[in-house]
Amino acid sequence: MKFLILVMLLCYSFAFSSGDTTIHTNNWAVLVCTSRFWFNYRHMANTLSLYRTVKRLGIPDERIILMLADDMACNARNEYPAQVFNNENHKLNLYGDNVEVDYRGYEVTVENFLRVLTGRHENAVPRSKRLLSDEGSHILLYMTGHGGDEFLKFQDAEELQSHDLADAVKQMKEKRRFKELMIMVDTCQAATLFNQLQSPGVLAIGSSLKGENSYSHHLDSDVGVSVVDRFTYYTLAFFERLNIYDNASLNSLFRSYDPKLLMSTAYYRTDLYQPHLAEVPVTNFFGSVMETIHTDSVYKAFSSKTSNNKINSEMPVNQLSEHDELQKANIPNDELKTEKQKCPYTQMRVDLHEKLEKFENVDTVVNLGIAVMVFVVMISSSLL
Amino acid sequence: MACLVRSWIPLLFLQSFLVAIAFGSNEGEEFSEELLLKPLPDRKVLAHFHFENRAPPSNSHGRNHHLFPKAISQLVQKFRVKEMELSFTQGRWNHEHWGGFDPLSSMNAKPVGVELWAVFDVPQSQVDISWKNLTHALSGLFCASINFLESSTSYAAPTWGFGTNSDKLRYGSLPREAVCTENLTPWLKLLPCRDKDGISALMNRPSVYRGFYHSQRLHLSTVESGQEGLGSGIVLEQTLTVVIQPETTSVETNMQPSWSLSSLFGRKVVGSCVLAKSSNVYLQLEGRLGHESKNVDTEIEAHKLWMNSDFDLSLKPDRVIRESSSLLFIFDIDKSSDSEPFDLGLTWKLPSKWSCEQAPLHASRFLMGSGNERGAIAILLKATESQEKLSGRNLTTDGRCTIKANIFQIFPWYIKVYYHTLQIFVDQQQKTDSEVLKKINVSPSTDKVSSGMLEMMLELPCEVKSAAISIEYDKGFLHIDEYPPDANQGFDIPSALISFPSHHASLDFQEELSKSPLLSSFKEKSLVRSYTEVLLVPLTTPDFSMPYNVITITCTIFALYFGSLLNVLRRRIGEEERFLKSQAGKKRGGLKQLLSRLTAKIRGRPIEAPSSESPAAESSFLSSKLIFKIILVAGAAAAWQYFSTDK
Repeated sequence: MKFLILVMLLCYSFAFSSGDTTIHTNNWAVLVCTSRFWFNYRHMANTLSLYRTVKRLGIPDERIILMLADDMACNARNEYPAQVFNNENHKLNLYGDNVEVDYRGYEVTVENFLRVLTGRHENAVPRSKRLLSDEGSHILLYMTGHGGDEFLKFQDAEELQSHDLADAVKQMKEKRRFKELMIMVDTCQAATLFNQLQSPGVLAIGSSLKGENSYSHHLDSDVGVSVVDRFTYYTLAFFERLNIYDNASLNSLFRSYDPKLLMSTAYYRTDLYQPHLAEVPVTNFFGSVMETIHTDSVYKAFSSKTSNNKINSEMPVNQLSEHDELQKANIPNDELKTEKQKCPYTQMRVDLHEKLEKFENVDTVVNLGIAVMVFVVMISSSLL
Repeated sequence: MACLVRSWIPLLFLQSFLVAIAFGSNEGEEFSEELLLKPLPDRKVLAHFHFENRAPPSNSHGRNHHLFPKAISQLVQKFRVKEMELSFTQGRWNHEHWGGFDPLSSMNAKPVGVELWAVFDVPQSQVDISWKNLTHALSGLFCASINFLESSTSYAAPTWGFGTNSDKLRYGSLPREAVCTENLTPWLKLLPCRDKDGISALMNRPSVYRGFYHSQRLHLSTVESGQEGLGSGIVLEQTLTVVIQPETTSVETNMQPSWSLSSLFGRKVVGSCVLAKSSNVYLQLEGRLGHESKNVDTEIEAHKLWMNSDFDLSLKPDRVIRESSSLLFIFDIDKSSDSEPFDLGLTWKLPSKWSCEQAPLHASRFLMGSGNERGAIAILLKATESQEKLSGRNLTTDGRCTIKANIFQIFPWYIKVYYHTLQIFVDQQQKTDSEVLKKINVSPSTDKVSSGMLEMMLELPCEVKSAAISIEYDKGFLHIDEYPPDANQGFDIPSALISFPSHHASLDFQEELSKSPLLSSFKEKSLVRSYTEVLLVPLTTPDFSMPYNVITITCTIFALYFGSLLNVLRRRIGEEERFLKSQAGKKRGGLKQLLSRLTAKIRGRPIEAPSSESPAAESSFLSSKLIFKIILVAGAAAAWQYFSTDK
């Protein structure tokens, strides 16, 4: 019996390792403004600009977790109640009529942030406040606020350290809460926040290198404060030209940052991210573009395998790993056979189980096996 | 035969029951939208939006929702809410100018921030759990941090001071909570037409939030059907009260500003919400104006009412109703369309002045004392003009005329109130408790566990000019983790609620208006109540950088002390010279010397000759290997033994 358990464990580990070949199912965005107080208006404007962009590119409100540390729109100092602008021309009201803020004010803490990422909430917490991503999710994590060497300040009272972030991301990976994660940070010395990241599938962009500041773009003399940061401003400038159908790559986004305009050097950490950046469309993270499957016949239940196959073949080349292709080759087109075919692990387990059922004196076999192992041990130890 | 009849009876019952269900569902849900506009004496305009959604009783499993929001009915079912009210408010209701003795103010004048109270229909032991889950659910639904009310330090269970007597009532408020678009949007999403059509289309966010006062309220109550097997019906009442200052161009200061819907909100009503049973707009004119014209019978008289020497209405009202002190113009917006939008305007021709009815006593609250250690809270009740009219109603058995006033107040635990210091002054003369204090209920706070609560019933003589209540407190200390990020701003004490249990406000319409939920709610008698100001208490805030400073200073001192001490203790002055000499004497290969020094350091022995050192190490290594082998074999043998005897 113990042998069987060993085999089962092996099978499990096999199943786990094949987890990263799952297809892209949905997009999530976690947008965090960590700064309190009126003079940090620009940080809220940054976050809301990103919120508007990802919403425009197709991520629905229920898959966006928006955390705003203070209320700027209805702040007593705001000359324009219920409005937030990111440009002094005041053409675009970021607050609009349809903003859903999930965490606000005192709720924006390091604890709640880590809880959102790792999904460790109290039972009573409603669904709208949870990041309910799965192993096929692409997550955009955008953070802005005041930062320093390997830390990001929350509400001027707490700090999120690069270790905390890396641990949370690691935990997310282990819990299979994402397929690909993009972290975008607009703070001073943003690049240092990514130093401890280890998990595969993580792509990180920071607004500035160690020792550099992130500057605001311009001051709105009507509002009285700076309204947007440079890095976010130029990110938005890139996205404003795009619509949901555009196929701009991440590489073109990264190339669009000009250190002279930013007054800092944008930093990209790509060593944990497998696909080639030139082939990944920005909508992989900043939008939600669903693949449509054209079928000639009527929809049939239980034919998910074949449809999966179709999604893969229609996806960009970079997303097809070798495993997928192997699977594709293995799956025959005949529908009856597809139904019969199970995952390799269950198939193996069933086979083993059948064989063991037929076997009568299992115990002697096990004992013999142990005896053989003893010999092996003795031989190996004498060789030492 | 008798047997047969007996078996038929239950079937008949079942049939009638099924028919009842069918008819019940046919009756359907009802939605109505109404807007009340009212010019205020201080040149502002009050707009009160009222939406009512009724879900009839149906069987609790598988309710079909057409108009009624599913989220709310799920909330009611899951947490067994009997009655609940949630309000989001910014600004303070001006009781003197905006009215304090009418149903509108007693129901819609709310404390700043978020206020939530709920009555549950669960066993006493589960009320707190239901409350906690309800706050979380509401915080998700309305994008606010209502979940901060879950902790026992922030809510209380009033017994009689709140006006609703129930032991399953919980009350909490968050004075600091911001109210903005993100709260209004989910609230509007509960309406069948959202803000796309009908009266709610007027709610232009910037104009709503530019106002002097805005209060968004959601009140739900369950209606027991009385029939067995049927669940309870739900009445959901959503109101938004806004006080706006119309923009004026006239230079005359005593002239009331003229306004129209489009000038107030920047939008017009283009047609009613087609799902609403009734969509009406009311214009209420108060005071002197109401008394002027006596007869509304003839067409000419009616015409005079809305186009006279005082003011002009831009539209002809469908009906005019008179109340004891005011006029009510009713407009049906069904007739408006895209080509002919409904844009009601009021133009004043002559300066006019009037005043609002006020509550018997005007309440205000303030802090006394100075310093960061202790202080006192005072509640001041001042007589208003309307008091003369009202007095005489409440004669006690011995013929004295009295005004009853209930005071309900929650204290956060860090405001440590000394209840024995309660002092009551009536007309600047201190009174003993027995003279004026009729009832008192105190539940003291426990540090970091529960908040304190004070309920008082005062019985003041009718001719009272002012009454003051003061109570002293000590300021507590919070743990460093408990301070909010903006601790220097101070801490809030939630509003106190002053209610007058023997005074009830209602509008007394002469005609029967069962059709309109807003007017029928005005007709019902409502308890006169007013909320006091929120108090801001500065607590001692620590220097948050102090721990850091202490750590750095102590570390520096430790490093200096131990560093120098160790240096003194461990240093051998002659050693270095001797070592240098010996090094000069022996000339060995650099690498070999380094290795021998390293091994010497690890072993903590003086440097030995390399030749004598190596065999010993070799032998010990060999022996450990031998021992390992023996253990391995023994282990294997034991395992063999174990498995062979296992059978």
